[in-house]
Amino acid sequence: MTQAIAPGEIDLGASAAGDQIGLVRKGVSEWLFLAPALVFFIGYQVWPIFRVLWLSFTDFQFLSDKPARWVWFDNYAHALSDPLMWTSLGRAALFTMMFLPGTIILPLLLAILVDRVTNQRLATLYRVILLIPAVIPSTLIFVLWKWMYNYQSGPINHLLVDTFGLFTLQNAPQWLGGTALTLPSIAVMEVWWGLGYHTIFFIAGLAAIPKELPDAARIDGASEWQVFWHVTRPQLAPIMMILVVLRFGTAMAVIDEYLIFGGFNRASPTYTWTIFMYDQAFKLGLWRQGYAAAIGMIGAVAMMFVMVILLRIFRPKG
Amino acid sequence: MTLETNYSAAAEPEETESWFARNRSAIVRHSVINLFALIILLPLCWVLLMSVKSLPDAMRGDFWPKHFDFTHYPYVFERIATLPVNLFNSIYVTAATVLITTICAVLAGYALVHIRPLGAGLVVTALLVSLYFPVRVVSIISIYETQHWLGLINNTSGLILPYITLQLAISILIMRSMFQLVPHEMFESARIDGAGHWRALWEVGLPMVRNGLVVIFIVNFVAAWGEYLLCLTLVDDEAKRTMPVVLAAAQGGQGQWSWPNLAAVYVIVVTPGIIAFTFAQKLFFKGLLEGALKG
Repeated sequence: MTQAIAPGEIDLGASAAGDQIGLVRKGVSEWLFLAPALVFFIGYQVWPIFRVLWLSFTDFQFLSDKPARWVWFDNYAHALSDPLMWTSLGRAALFTMMFLPGTIILPLLLAILVDRVTNQRLATLYRVILLIPAVIPSTLIFVLWKWMYNYQSGPINHLLVDTFGLFTLQNAPQWLGGTALTLPSIAVMEVWWGLGYHTIFFIAGLAAIPKELPDAARIDGASEWQVFWHVTRPQLAPIMMILVVLRFGTAMAVIDEYLIFGGFNRASPTYTWTIFMYDQAFKLGLWRQGYAAAIGMIGAVAMMFVMVILLRIFRPKG
Repeated sequence: MTLETNYSAAAEPEETESWFARNRSAIVRHSVINLFALIILLPLCWVLLMSVKSLPDAMRGDFWPKHFDFTHYPYVFERIATLPVNLFNSIYVTAATVLITTICAVLAGYALVHIRPLGAGLVVTALLVSLYFPVRVVSIISIYETQHWLGLINNTSGLILPYITLQLAISILIMRSMFQLVPHEMFESARIDGAGHWRALWEVGLPMVRNGLVVIFIVNFVAAWGEYLLCLTLVDDEAKRTMPVVLAAAQGGQGQWSWPNLAAVYVIVVTPGIIAFTFAQKLFFKGLLEGALKG
């Protein structure tokens, strides 16, 4: 770690060797560059997490005048004995299972195909088209698909009813709004959204593989599938691991989509732990934020627990 | 799509067959890619066409309109009262967020690699952990309290503070890996020549991390321009909200939000980002490959 020698070291030797004040001033000036970022990071990321952790042990209600009381694990016990907590965690897991395979496998397939396009201009064009959804902000993606899935005026139902005549206006599928189709519909939308972005990740991974490896395997008579499975796949393992774990995290903690497509109906499959938390914190009664904090912490910890397991499963071998 | 013409080179029948036979895998490859490209482009083309459809065409729902009607664009600006305000809110909040986050990320990235104060490793670990923890969801409870305490509830400018942290961690990590590509000696020699950290960063560092800047610029623009949860929770008045929240709440098909009007607003909101990206795509890809994937 020769890098560990900071450039500041030179100043120390030249000007202020052994001078305590100089040392302190050097420390302050070194942290000066980090300060702006840290102020925001601590204020709006680190502090809120610890504050919510603290709140989860109190009976804090935002709209109540009474001071918060420390209630130890009451909120946790209450949440864990509520069937809705388990149902809502299960729904989030169900959505993750619908979303995760498609969002890993399709981009991988596409990346292998685009990687072999030899015409440079065509390859660039493909990459740009694939990445367009990635530069459309999240809410605008949801608005677009809310529209696509619209029961009466959406183009999907228009295709199914008017063009192909598979359904009538009475029995056309109800894609959103808390039906059984809602979670798969959202999963399709999310895969569409992330398709290009994830493809670019895999293309970068493929570009890093030395061309001799697959070529040598082919000369030895390996089929394309064997080349993929024994040569390409292990090389992509690190990228695969990061994508699986990160996307697992985003899928388990989805909230905006559920707010827009599902609302606060407890029977809806979109009423997951995130909506449960939001409902308690900002909608019901006097805003029981102590209880909501406990729900959020249970969801987060459950999520992190599975993420550690995933990290172990997908860790590149050797 | 026009790309299809590339391999529909029609010649004599027997020659066509052999051409197909020789290029079978390429044809399959390009067909599959084009199919996906089509799936990506179709919904967007649909909205674009919807925004220039006449009302009867919009009701009928056919893909290609019989009559074009370009008056929806002026209409939405003149007749939807809060629209210019919402649009301005979005532009203002996003611009401030992108600017401040970029400055914070560049300074922090430089410091983490080339100043390395004591405890820098701890900062990097904290940033990495925050990527895996559902901070955005869980922290909303406490952020509401903080904003309330600062008197920033129902205040558009107040949104900038939490918006900065939306992608701050990833931005710092990207800048950090960008600065790792710049040899240490370059900064050292600049500083031996009498430049301070500021000038070394400004004159030597910034040009070297240009691609990374493009990446965090786009990443933060996308995050702030489309943010929903915080704006929905922290701001109650429609006139003080940003464009996406208003769009998400719009009941399509009724009154001022007739489908073509909604589509026109949609196109206005989405196009700037796509155009900016198309121009910057080369730098964006380079930056993504250099920095983002290692971060």
